[in-house]
Amino acid sequence: MGQLVVNGLALGSIYALVALGLLLIFNTVQIVNFAQGQLLMLGAFIGISCAVTHELPMAASWAITMVAMALVGVVFMTLVYFPLRGRPAFLVILTTIAMGIVLENLALIIWGPLPVSLPSPVSGPPLRFAGVVISMHQLFIFATLAVILVLQFLFLTRTRFGILMQATAQDLHTARLVGIPVNRTIAVAFALGTVLSGIAGLLVAPIFLAEPTMGGSLGLKGFVVSVIGGFGNLPGAVIGGLFLGLVETFGARYISSNFRDAYAFIVMITVLIAWPRGLFGEKSSEKV
Amino acid sequence: MLVLLRASITGVSAICLAFASVSPSAAEPASCPSPIPLGLTTALTGNTALLGTQARSGVEFAVDEINAGGGINGKKLALATEDTGASSTDSLNAMNRILEGKPLVIFGSMISPHVFAQTEVVTKSGTPFLVGATNAKVTSQGSKWLFRTHVHDGQLADLIPEYLVKSLKKTKPGIIAVADDYGLGASRGIQASLAKLNATPVAVTSYAPSDKDMSAQLLEIKDKGADSLIVFGRPADVTLVVKQMSDLGIKLTTIGNSSLVAQTALNNLTAAEADGAYAIGGMIPQTSTDPKILDWAKRVQDKYKVPADNFAVSYYDTVYLLKSIIEKVGCDKAAIRDALATTKDWKGMLISYQADSLGDLAHTLGVYRNKGKTPELTGPIKESGF
Repeated sequence: MGQLVVNGLALGSIYALVALGLLLIFNTVQIVNFAQGQLLMLGAFIGISCAVTHELPMAASWAITMVAMALVGVVFMTLVYFPLRGRPAFLVILTTIAMGIVLENLALIIWGPLPVSLPSPVSGPPLRFAGVVISMHQLFIFATLAVILVLQFLFLTRTRFGILMQATAQDLHTARLVGIPVNRTIAVAFALGTVLSGIAGLLVAPIFLAEPTMGGSLGLKGFVVSVIGGFGNLPGAVIGGLFLGLVETFGARYISSNFRDAYAFIVMITVLIAWPRGLFGEKSSEKV
Repeated sequence: MLVLLRASITGVSAICLAFASVSPSAAEPASCPSPIPLGLTTALTGNTALLGTQARSGVEFAVDEINAGGGINGKKLALATEDTGASSTDSLNAMNRILEGKPLVIFGSMISPHVFAQTEVVTKSGTPFLVGATNAKVTSQGSKWLFRTHVHDGQLADLIPEYLVKSLKKTKPGIIAVADDYGLGASRGIQASLAKLNATPVAVTSYAPSDKDMSAQLLEIKDKGADSLIVFGRPADVTLVVKQMSDLGIKLTTIGNSSLVAQTALNNLTAAEADGAYAIGGMIPQTSTDPKILDWAKRVQDKYKVPADNFAVSYYDTVYLLKSIIEKVGCDKAAIRDALATTKDWKGMLISYQADSLGDLAHTLGVYRNKGKTPELTGPIKESGF
């Protein structure tokens, strides 16, 4: 039982990290980026290229990956969001799906279909407590999620740039009229959201291996937990992620492992029926 | 009168023989176009690309070698390849594109749902269809044009439980299989074979092809008191199963399909994680002691950046089998089909091929055991009746 809780929370933490990246972009431009999972995959492969192929130190590999992902985020925004800005939201969403497919195939061409493992940045024997095994990497995932959640919350509520991002999200045209550098604000949102995906990729690759198709399912789960938590709500996404991780793990153990993916959507539908705006939903959820 | 009759019969026989000797259809192979068109449909993108590229590697490598050696009877081979992606619909579209080129022979995928989707249209075209698809029922579709040159799940479903119970003396296995046509079909077959051996699995679990966390299933198998684990999946997910077993401290005798000894899996496992696992499946080149085969495996890896596995070997052999047939019967599709159906003891890289009544040509499997990260061939094992 205890082991299931630990493994469920570790899995849920990864879903939550994907959701945090998704929401950073959504909270600024009100667009759901369905390529978030493929950006996670890209982060994992960039990390592997640095740490495994070029044998760079792990800290340097993480730093390079984050910088690279920030640039990828800006390019992504330039190619996907800017040309379609002002058009119906579904057009941008469809384009993000298409970009996801492009990224997957690009990865296949560049890195090939082989699954590859990335070493964990932390090492050491696992903790054992009452028969429950907690690996150092799982602890690192929990810690990273907590730090990112706090930093993201502080950034959005306590920094000038974060407040500008929220103002842009409220009304883009008014924000521009009052002198907010809207384009720069959106670029930062895409860069940071993509960096978060990259971090999720770096965390996932040591335990789940990296392969070009790894992002599809994780990206979708990130979306599901965002909906469960209430779209736009950061703590809600984290709680939704942890909840879904536990549901999947316990469902696979005690109901049937055949329907593991189905649990995510059953939970999402159930939550939406009971709480149409998600568990911690705000008005912005109506725009999804 | 009798002498006259004998003379007449002799005379008629001589005339018949003379005609027969000049008849091109009976004595000379059908002529081949130049180049000889061949088709290949396989998954080069999507979540089965890792498998699909093995077919591409095997076929393309053999075609290039044959062309470099002057072709078949002086005629070069022209291979057209179409990507099936991951869906059966796309695989049918890919096959239709291949058929537009009117190939002499088509090499199909090892992904069974793709082959099921393609068989009817290939059969209607009257083109020999050589596949590696592993679902036992692939060759039971009633197509006289379809042949399989790789071992199938039905053979594994019999041999894995037999080896586990009779040789390893384990009678309470847990089963974990990928929840698709490949894994679930094998899981059902394994359960049936275990029942015949009076062994009952303590837990039967599965995971979706996109699943990354199998810890719940492994904990269930452990909690229910399994003495061994039967794993059936693709190299990437089997790697995760083995890794997560190790992370959870679960130590069970593990046996499964050849994914457990695939180089693509072993590259991502530590020696401690991989050590001791058994696998039964198509023969892999890495355990050979023949320097020529090891050199072949190295050249394939250098060219395609993916280690050759049992599928690459099978598809490579298939092209050379086809070459030997065309050299004998020429480029007549029906003659090639008939020659494939009567294949007997044709020696490939690692095994000999022999056609059975359904069109299955591979009946020899390898039993492997990992010593650290190095798979060792415990011995070949033959399907009952071969």
